[in-house]
Amino acid sequence: MALVLGGWWALGALAAPYTPRDESTVLERLPLRRSDPVAAELRQLRGAPLARRYFELAMAQGDPRYVGYAEAALRNAENDPPAEVLFVRGLLRQYRHDFNGALADLADAVKRDPDHVGARAWRAAIFMVRAEYAAAREECRALAPLASDLLAAGCRATVDGATGKAHAAYDQLKAELEARPDAAPEIRLWTLTRLAEFAERFGDPMRAERHFREAIALGLRDDFLLAAYADFLLERGRPQEVGALLKKWGQSDNLLLRVALAAKSQNLPEAPRHAQALGERFAAAGLRGERLHLAEEARYLLELKGDPKAALAAAAENWKSQREPRDARVLLEAALAAGERKAAAPALRWLDESGFEDARLRRLAAQLK
Amino acid sequence: MRHFFLALLLASGLAHAHKPSDSYLALTAQDQELRGQWDIALRDLEYAIGLDADGDGAITWGELRKKQPEIAAYAFARFTLRDCTITPGALLVDEHTDGAYAVLQFSARCGEALPRRLELEYSLFADLDPTHRGLLRAQLGEQTITGVLGPDQPRLSLDAAGRTRLEQFLDYAREGVWHIWIGFDHVLFLLSLLLPAVLSAPRFAPAFWEVFRVVTAFTVAHSITLALAALSVVSLPSRLVESAIAASVVLAALNNLFPVVQRGRWLVAFTFGLIHGFGFASVLTELGLPKESLLLALVGFNLGVEGGQLCIVGAFLPLAYLLRHTWMYRRVIFLGGSALIALIAALWMVERVFDLRLGLI
Repeated sequence: MALVLGGWWALGALAAPYTPRDESTVLERLPLRRSDPVAAELRQLRGAPLARRYFELAMAQGDPRYVGYAEAALRNAENDPPAEVLFVRGLLRQYRHDFNGALADLADAVKRDPDHVGARAWRAAIFMVRAEYAAAREECRALAPLASDLLAAGCRATVDGATGKAHAAYDQLKAELEARPDAAPEIRLWTLTRLAEFAERFGDPMRAERHFREAIALGLRDDFLLAAYADFLLERGRPQEVGALLKKWGQSDNLLLRVALAAKSQNLPEAPRHAQALGERFAAAGLRGERLHLAEEARYLLELKGDPKAALAAAAENWKSQREPRDARVLLEAALAAGERKAAAPALRWLDESGFEDARLRRLAAQLK
Repeated sequence: MRHFFLALLLASGLAHAHKPSDSYLALTAQDQELRGQWDIALRDLEYAIGLDADGDGAITWGELRKKQPEIAAYAFARFTLRDCTITPGALLVDEHTDGAYAVLQFSARCGEALPRRLELEYSLFADLDPTHRGLLRAQLGEQTITGVLGPDQPRLSLDAAGRTRLEQFLDYAREGVWHIWIGFDHVLFLLSLLLPAVLSAPRFAPAFWEVFRVVTAFTVAHSITLALAALSVVSLPSRLVESAIAASVVLAALNNLFPVVQRGRWLVAFTFGLIHGFGFASVLTELGLPKESLLLALVGFNLGVEGGQLCIVGAFLPLAYLLRHTWMYRRVIFLGGSALIALIAALWMVERVFDLRLGLI
């Protein structure tokens, strides 16, 4: 029985309940109109395809409610589920950070359907999150005969780019992209984001920025791209551009973190309000017993709340399940700020073993040694 | 093929945002009346029963108000209080971090008086969104209870009236018994004073009365200081108190090996009992003292301590009396035991005076 004493209620409502004055007062704008083609498509779908579509929506819009809808759509899965159900269930499990469960589901999906490109790709992706590069490379190899050259190159480049071969990865992926002018916009966006990251990693910010801008010019909503570009701008002391970039897309926690950081570094009057809203969201997630974005929470605690001890605890907890460059970075920064060098050891070991190039991480590591 | 790219993209960190679906359920019990407020997100209600009548992607106050009966019927079919009838009240609006919420006020009647336990059952959106949670906050008299309701935990049972006074009394008495049983320093002190009580007794009665005097003196003394400390009339630093308690055990045990005080052990029990009372008080403070039933807690705890003490004495006295002439009692238990107690208590004293951890009990 999860009963805890505490005064969390203050987090709940922002103000006292009220009666709107006017019948025509708009209280809420919905993400989808009924006439929207996506809404129509959702009405047609059932089972695994519906769950998968909802999951894609959750990813594209950064809205966890769609994850809940996807779980509901999968609920009546049969005893011996087909590959597609296993695949979607694996995606939902990885969302909850149940990586072992997800890998098992995806492996079962591959067993039932050896040509399931998605299941292979997700296994590679999960291995990347866990910094298990040899296993990720293995999945890329298995994927190569099933997928297009661009896909296969993308898979390989992601592993290479994280293991000290960012320049080579960049050259290969760029060549593949240029060979495929007909690639779908989503694929272009993903590839350009990777190219920007690789360029930043091997120390060519001009090239990185060009790719970020090309990707944004495609006009698709993509939280990851926006967050990555916002971080790039913050890093280079250009917070005023972050505000302009994210004005349209302020909803998600990841973007709100960047908006709050940008406001703080410019001393804008709304800075405390953003920081407070973000704190409330993390607290609200905590009430549910969920802490799914610990890396962001650690950054919030470190850079906005000024609580390096709590930040270090969150970053260390995060590192237990997620070991990407950004996870390493916040762990190193928090350890440095909290004056607890020992706590940085796992990230330093990762940096040594992976050969990850990023100059900033290397500088941080030098300070900690 | 697009999912492949989504895959890698997601792995690079695009995770979650907005907020998962939560409702906020507040209950207040006051003077036999139960009132409630339930905040449910408009987006969730739209998904469940449809609010956007004109399909323009915006929910207006007019659209929400027209659906009020349906919302109430839907929601209160999915939240019940056993043996109570819920009557929906006014519909209001509020903003939470992730958007606008419908605020459903309600009251509940549960027969003549509030039931002792409130049994909640919650299944809102369980079929539509298994990640939905109901965040409960119940203000029941003096106590505030919070909890999370959802598919993993659809039922909660709350103490509506809080604990009855008798139950509270028994709770504290139980704590008192427990504390004397696990409070080795108090037990060892008492044993040190009781060990010699039977030694020279020709019959049972004198032994009994000697033990009675010692135990009563100890009890009266620690009751006085326990009350004074619990009512914040006197307060002493806990390190000083704990060190002095350890010292009292050392002295009492050494007195058996190298007798200084032989008559009037009850006076020793009384004097040091005053210090032990401060030790009990710190336990009581840690348990948290209810303001409205301070006396009840105090008496309950103290009687518990005495009861626990009596059990120990009751077990000790007959055994010691029977064994009192044996070599075993005189050499091993009396002298050896006293020496061991003095040694243990001396180590405690060192730990407490210098704030060390030597790894002993």
